[in-house]
Amino acid sequence: MTDAIQQDDIDELLPASHVSLAEPPAQKEACIEHLLDLLVDAGRVEDRQTALDALLAREEQTTTGVGMGIGIPHAKTDAVSRPSLAFTRSEEGVDFGSMDGEPATLVFLILVPEEGGEDHLSILSSLSRSLMHDDVRERLHEADDEAAVRDTLREALA
Amino acid sequence: MSVERTVTIVPEAGLHARPAAAFVEAVNDYEAEVTAGQPGDDLVQAGSMIAVTSLGVGEGDELRLVADGPDAEAVLDELEDILTTPEEELSA
Repeated sequence: MTDAIQQDDIDELLPASHVSLAEPPAQKEACIEHLLDLLVDAGRVEDRQTALDALLAREEQTTTGVGMGIGIPHAKTDAVSRPSLAFTRSEEGVDFGSMDGEPATLVFLILVPEEGGEDHLSILSSLSRSLMHDDVRERLHEADDEAAVRDTLREALA
Repeated sequence: MSVERTVTIVPEAGLHARPAAAFVEAVNDYEAEVTAGQPGDDLVQAGSMIAVTSLGVGEGDELRLVADGPDAEAVLDELEDILTTPEEELSA
């Protein structure tokens, strides 16, 4: 069993600057770049191209659209020195090619350093577990600001 | 009648990426209800990618599979095959 994300970690993983509530690009790759740029602008990414290549290589293996309207593009890369999470949501939906055919309306991006071991699996599983709850997804859709998004995730991941 | 099996995960990246996709697709290919979970934990729907991702199953972890339906044995055979095949040997 991997460890769940600790409650305080949300502040470190997802500061308000990593949240964008504006409509993201409708194409999957452009949406991934949009999320990556939140982390780049926040100073988390040392090498944007390396991070992008790692994210797209992961998508090539199989989509990170996990169904239920959720996309979680992620990668292990030394382009970051600490685990980082970004979030956006879409009214229109982004086609992630998920098995259930649902476009992604809640999209998270996870970057974890190469030497992070199972950190990415742990973040990915904790996030997925919390997003299976209807009320968590609803609250993320209805959140009025970045603080409400972070409060929802802090509670959901606790 | 339901059948169950516990399998140790071989792919280096765990039940993740291609092995996870192959796993979920296989579940949906058979006439059987399949649930999965680490021994002692709650079981989740094995035909849902988000549910499988939520398990956070890594290399060397055990996964308990429970299947119910006409294809129960067949689906468990295929799932065991996927879970015990190193990722580089998994056909796309």
